[in-house]
Amino acid sequence: MRRFITVLFVLSLIVMVFGTVTAQDDEKVLVVGLSEDYHSLDPNRAYEPGGSQVHHSVYDTLVTFPSDSVDEILPNLAADWDISEDGLVYTFYLRDDVVFSNGDPLTADDVVFSFNRMKNLKDNPAFLADTIASVEAADDLTVVLTLEHPDPAILAKLIFDAFSVVNADVVREHGGTDAEDAAETDTAEDWLMNNSAGTGPYMVESYEPTVQTVLVRNPNYWGEPAYFDRIIIQNLPETSTQKLILEAGDIDIAMDVIADQLPSLRQNDAIEVFSTQSDTLIFLLCNQDPEIGGPMSDPLVQRALRYAVNYEELKFLSGEGADNPAAMVPIGFAGALDPSEGLTRDLDQARALLAEAGYADGFTIDLEYPDFNYIGTEFGIVAQKVQADLAEVGITVNLVPQEFQVSLEAYRAGRQGFSLWLWNPDYYDTLDYVEFLPNGVVGNRANWTDENADQEILDLRDAVIVETDSATRNELFRQIQLYEQQNGPFVPLFQPGVHFAYDANLQGFAYNGQWRVDLTRLHY
Amino acid sequence: MSLHVYLMRRLVLMIPLLVGISIVSFTISNAIPADPTAANLGERAAADPDIVAAFRHKWGLDQPLHVQYLTYMRNLLRGDMGTSIRSHRPVVEELRRYLPATIELATAGILVSVIAGVIFGVVSAVWRNKPIDFVVRILSLIGVSAPVFWLALIGLLVLYLRWDVVPGPGRLDARVVPPARVTGLYTVDSLVAGDLGLFRNSIEHLLLPALVLGAYSAGLITRITRSSMLEVLSQDYITTARSKGLREWVVVMRHALRNALMPVVTIIGLSYSSLLSGAVLTETIFAWEGIGRYAYNAARTLDFPAIMGVSMLIALVFVVTNLVVDILYYWLDPRLRHG
Amino acid sequence: MDNLHTVRLRMRQNPLMVVGAIVCLVWIVISMAAGDLAPYHPLEQSVMERLQAPSSDHLFGTDQLGRDVLSRVLYGGRTSLPAGLLVVTSAMLVGTAFGAVAGYMGGMWDELLMRFTEVFMAFPIIILAMAIAAALGPNVTNAVIAMSVVWWPNYARIVRSLVISVKSDAYVESARAIGSSPVRILLITILPNCVAPALVMATLDIGNAILIFAGLSFLGLGPEPSSPEWGRMVSDGIDYFDQWWLSTFPGLAIFTVVMALNFVGDGMRDLLDPRTRKQIG
Repeated sequence: MRRFITVLFVLSLIVMVFGTVTAQDDEKVLVVGLSEDYHSLDPNRAYEPGGSQVHHSVYDTLVTFPSDSVDEILPNLAADWDISEDGLVYTFYLRDDVVFSNGDPLTADDVVFSFNRMKNLKDNPAFLADTIASVEAADDLTVVLTLEHPDPAILAKLIFDAFSVVNADVVREHGGTDAEDAAETDTAEDWLMNNSAGTGPYMVESYEPTVQTVLVRNPNYWGEPAYFDRIIIQNLPETSTQKLILEAGDIDIAMDVIADQLPSLRQNDAIEVFSTQSDTLIFLLCNQDPEIGGPMSDPLVQRALRYAVNYEELKFLSGEGADNPAAMVPIGFAGALDPSEGLTRDLDQARALLAEAGYADGFTIDLEYPDFNYIGTEFGIVAQKVQADLAEVGITVNLVPQEFQVSLEAYRAGRQGFSLWLWNPDYYDTLDYVEFLPNGVVGNRANWTDENADQEILDLRDAVIVETDSATRNELFRQIQLYEQQNGPFVPLFQPGVHFAYDANLQGFAYNGQWRVDLTRLHY
Repeated sequence: MSLHVYLMRRLVLMIPLLVGISIVSFTISNAIPADPTAANLGERAAADPDIVAAFRHKWGLDQPLHVQYLTYMRNLLRGDMGTSIRSHRPVVEELRRYLPATIELATAGILVSVIAGVIFGVVSAVWRNKPIDFVVRILSLIGVSAPVFWLALIGLLVLYLRWDVVPGPGRLDARVVPPARVTGLYTVDSLVAGDLGLFRNSIEHLLLPALVLGAYSAGLITRITRSSMLEVLSQDYITTARSKGLREWVVVMRHALRNALMPVVTIIGLSYSSLLSGAVLTETIFAWEGIGRYAYNAARTLDFPAIMGVSMLIALVFVVTNLVVDILYYWLDPRLRHG
Repeated sequence: MDNLHTVRLRMRQNPLMVVGAIVCLVWIVISMAAGDLAPYHPLEQSVMERLQAPSSDHLFGTDQLGRDVLSRVLYGGRTSLPAGLLVVTSAMLVGTAFGAVAGYMGGMWDELLMRFTEVFMAFPIIILAMAIAAALGPNVTNAVIAMSVVWWPNYARIVRSLVISVKSDAYVESARAIGSSPVRILLITILPNCVAPALVMATLDIGNAILIFAGLSFLGLGPEPSSPEWGRMVSDGIDYFDQWWLSTFPGLAIFTVVMALNFVGDGMRDLLDPRTRKQIG
């Protein structure tokens, strides 16, 4: 026994003296701290913002944005494109020098396969393909996209990760299909979780859900090779943990910094902070169906809510980079009202409206919300703020936090009477905000339909969807937003800031709303 | 009763227990009001009745409950716990992936608590009512009184942030590539790979979480050891041993401790299985991807096969630990052997 | 009189118990008089003064919504203390019923009931509670139900062994001999003899129950988000290492309450358990 202890002691001494971590000095590794919100790496199913970090590094789309803005559409896999007079036919001419990570050249068939597969998988992003009537290969390097009706946002939609182009042969080999029944028969997702078949600068090396995703440089990349040999995306769900280990130098970049951490991060010379306004809209939803919404379905109550919430304090609560959009189109989108045109809190007005609706003594209502944190917006905290604001006009709010998936399900099914949600743009065009109008994706969730909506807003909606002239479009959006300020089942609360912190020596950082940070451009 | 008969009896008794556990966890998992269909299908797909029906059929959700249960049990006997709805991977494979991290943490935690607990307990009993006894008793009460999640936070704040004597959250430094997987225990795998640096790193990362996780059991073990030692020290044979002129520490170590350890073994067994499951909170704060976090995520995402899998696994660990404790008891207590 | 004297003497020999009792009492008074003691209303928000460090205005600082942390900590006992008490009481009632019947009936009933008990013992408390809370929805009642479901088996075991040990005592035999019904024997003759040990166990257990309850609400499975509850407050502060006061003070509150309860429980065991009494004396 004593001998054993002695041996153990000596051994541990040896370890303590000689054992230091020998990180792969010869290899350049980028370590990213991220709160993992994705659970699939199948690009044609891409939906969650965190997944963009992977998809954008591994796959390419036909067209793209500059790395630091979403204002201009640039060629990518497609070197050039034509649009027919009537706006219905888009012809894309592919580059002839693009190869997949296994060396196969990119052809028009791969594009056709990818687009059809994305549409037929019927997963979350599939609605982006709603306006597409058909995709065909005219020759090896020419793709013809035909639309159901003119869609001024189609190029912006094609930039979304779900339109990533995959190697059709490889994905087919692993059970993939682009047939009509792909939703039931496609089995390639399993393979795509641990492998990749793209044209991007990196390849998926391994994916261990909730632990880490490892990307390795694509040796056959057709463009300028990336700096890092390997990218490790560590799942760090707690923002405090991300901050801690960034400060310790264990990760190079923290993707989920919250506004309240900024002051102390700025004091640290070894760390650079990037902070800007996000495109996320945090809003309240009232159900138009009296059976579900109760008093919340009353247009007067809905208007009263818009006068009862304290916009200024919500903005302050959200912290640096936050602002209050004037209606349901976020600041930064073409045609959005200026924040100064927004409503301000007016308790007397709110009380008068409630009295007019017959609720002079107020009422009690449940507020449902997903209990989670999104880019630093703690939904529980916002809900408590709303609770306090509405208490001042006599509305007693019971908070009903729900597990995210449970809440999402009820929200999507239109079963929530009064709830707190967020909306991220699916693509960078103001048209995405038509979803907040009757029969739109979010409109339906509030049971706001063609049947119960005013003719005024229906006419505006129908006009704006097909309008291609940008000045007329902006004017239509303006009228829609002015309408939203007085009517409709939504209350815009605020647009939070979005913050990143990274090693001060790291170069090449750029942010845009679509894919946030292009990891492939970072270097030391 | 011979050990064989005793063991057989215990093993047979395990069967109804495990069946009972499976029924209870199955009932609870199915009582969750949310429908996994909507939570796991895309929005478009969930609106399409054909796809929904196909999904429900694929996961057996269209069967009556008792049929679902029987199917589950039949598959379980073949070592198939179904496929996680969230990650689309076999649950068995996932459990195998996450379990080692928790075993490593819980084992380190129990080591800390046994070493600290037994030493403190003996010291406290030998110097009964002396200042050191008083200090140890207060320390042990602190151990059983501090909320583990709070202790973890304070530990990180002070030991990592202020003094920087322990590494931050995670099982290894983020920059370090984990060792090739043999057992899944980083401490073992790094030694297998012959990488002492990695070994040291994994030990360092274990220190604080193990200390935090072990604090409660350490307090418990201290208290049990102390009272058990006190009882033994007042026995006649100890007085005899003393009167023979043996040195005090020989008396304590040789004669008293061995006999005092009986109840301690029970508590260690109980602590170990509670550490395995109690790791949820510690794992959350230390970004430790173990079975506790897996269970937490499974519950949050209504991943029914995963919830079932974790419940069964942890219940199994509990049952097996109890069995081991019983066997140890059998060896330690001559009365049981001959009675 | 003599008895009271020895108790007083023992109290003097066990200062920890006295300290514990005082702290417990203080917390009970605080919880009851929180309305008068707290400088602010625990729900009163002043967003513009959020996340302020402790100062003379706010001794424990303010939280994310500008609420006074001290006031919330003072109110916190109103949830945690009754919750802990409720779990232990209900567990004791259910456990005693099961244990008494199993111990008294013996044979097949004993086997059956104890196997049933073991099923619940084998469940990891937090995981079962998570599943129950997910199924029923998170709130205080459900957290208490979830905890009670896994808590009672311990009492069933203890009471069963106590009942078995007194079952064959002379006075029980004589009660049986004069033809008392089994229910009567169990309730009037046997159970009163098991109350003291179960009570000691319960006292030691309340602290533990408060700890687990705090753990559940730390995971978001406890009371309504805005209500001042210690476990919840600690978890609200987890993203704020720089604002240490958010988590530290509510954590300290849990810690002192549980510690005090353990002091008292320890002391009570010493007072009532003749074996340890001998050694202390």
